[in-house]
Amino acid sequence: MSISKSTSLMRKTLLAAASVALLGTSQLALADENGKELAFTRKKGNCLACHMISGGSNAGTIGPALIDMKARFPKRDVLKAQIWDATVNNPESPMPPFGKHKILNDKELDAVVDFIWNL
Amino acid sequence: MKRLFTAAVVIALPLVMAGSAVASPADDSSAIRSYFSKKFPAVELNEFGNGVYAIDKVSRESWEAIEEFPPYETFVDAGEEMWNTAFANGKGYKDCFADGPGVAHKYPHWDKEKGMVMTLPLAINNCRKANGEKPLKYAKGSINDILSYMTYNSRGHKTNVVIPSDDPRAMAAYEEGKQFYFARRGQLNFSCASCHMQNSGNYIRSDILSPALGHTTGFPVYRSKWGTVGTLHRRFKGCNKQVRAKPFKPQGQEYRNLEYFLTYMSNGLELNGPSARK
Amino acid sequence: MKAKLISTLFAGLLLVTPFVAVNAGDDDKHHGDDGALKKAVAEATAAKKKAASVGGEWRDIGKFLKKAKKAAKKGKMKKAMKLAKKAKWQAEAGYKQVMAQKTVELPSYLK
Repeated sequence: MSISKSTSLMRKTLLAAASVALLGTSQLALADENGKELAFTRKKGNCLACHMISGGSNAGTIGPALIDMKARFPKRDVLKAQIWDATVNNPESPMPPFGKHKILNDKELDAVVDFIWNL
Repeated sequence: MKRLFTAAVVIALPLVMAGSAVASPADDSSAIRSYFSKKFPAVELNEFGNGVYAIDKVSRESWEAIEEFPPYETFVDAGEEMWNTAFANGKGYKDCFADGPGVAHKYPHWDKEKGMVMTLPLAINNCRKANGEKPLKYAKGSINDILSYMTYNSRGHKTNVVIPSDDPRAMAAYEEGKQFYFARRGQLNFSCASCHMQNSGNYIRSDILSPALGHTTGFPVYRSKWGTVGTLHRRFKGCNKQVRAKPFKPQGQEYRNLEYFLTYMSNGLELNGPSARK
Repeated sequence: MKAKLISTLFAGLLLVTPFVAVNAGDDDKHHGDDGALKKAVAEATAAKKKAASVGGEWRDIGKFLKKAKKAAKKGKMKKAMKLAKKAKWQAEAGYKQVMAQKTVELPSYLK
């Protein structure tokens, strides 16, 4: 392997690493925005139909206000399970099973969980 | 085959009913009434016929203003003309409805001969077909005119649905309607009761969910959202679609039985249709 | 993101029907796809009927199937397959939903 070749390889690797890092942060920020958007949009999460959320208007009163979520759900997984299918914990919960019925796909669900958990 | 099925129902039904889990329609009704009277203690029974306007003062004010020039009035007038216009064979609605147009309180009822729940829209079309006229569509269109007129003339009569004890099929129809009401359906997994019992009075976004009690008294309804008068079964369809379930056919067995159950719940409440809703 | 989602779904498909997946990568209009899609649509249609037979059909299943057939006509086999699978999944879920509540009692708040 010639020196020039190995340098170019290294450069490429560095460049790739850098772009991955860059992509990583931008995707994270995007995920945040995405989670909020998904949570607010009528055809997706539509959380506001039933829950008060800071930053949203005309919220419904069917479910509890979504505040201080980490106190209520110290574990993210427990919150995720609740959004996945709330009737597991409470068979009479009117909340749609967002995961079980694929109202949101896996990625969308994770983005919504991230957004809600940080409220 | 059909006879076999009927026989099975006749045999099976008393067995089911003997089980302690099955409540009688009267039990269901009193449970539901006591739930709503606890939930809305200030609302008198008959007031529930005004839907959301019985429980929310703010929207009641704008509704009362609307009622001063009712948007359904032209439909009542158009229906009166239909009532008074002879069919091609010279006969008319009055030949089918001998007691006059104000008979909406006699529906829905169990039709023993046909073995099904008979609704007013069905009776209207049976009348038309018997006289060589084309049946009307059951959700939108001019069926709402004749319904508006007949309902308007039935105002003040009390809802009085009877579930005859001499025909187990009637009880089965009621049970089917009840099952429909409490079963979750669609991708969103809501039952009718999720919204209109459990969460009646709550806001869904900026709309208040109306109580199930009294839901049937005001139909047909002029809905601002529709910009016209529509039937009860049209409204059922809309609700089913909203929970992302495939709606059933207006006047099909599912909605007829649902109407049977739901109207029974409002027994004793005065008919006040046609009415105006958001 | 969407592309990734589709490719993930597609990878899943690859496991189920290797023959289709191998061809689909190269040529969306390959005949092999046609057979697999027809099968998927037939399965979804059967599942839809089964759900409807118990009154458990969801709202958009028919729409997904229509769209799948339309996409297939345009040669968009991946999209068509995805829609057919979605239709089938929803139909099965709707059927299960009904089966899970064969007898409904009055909810506790009414007792």
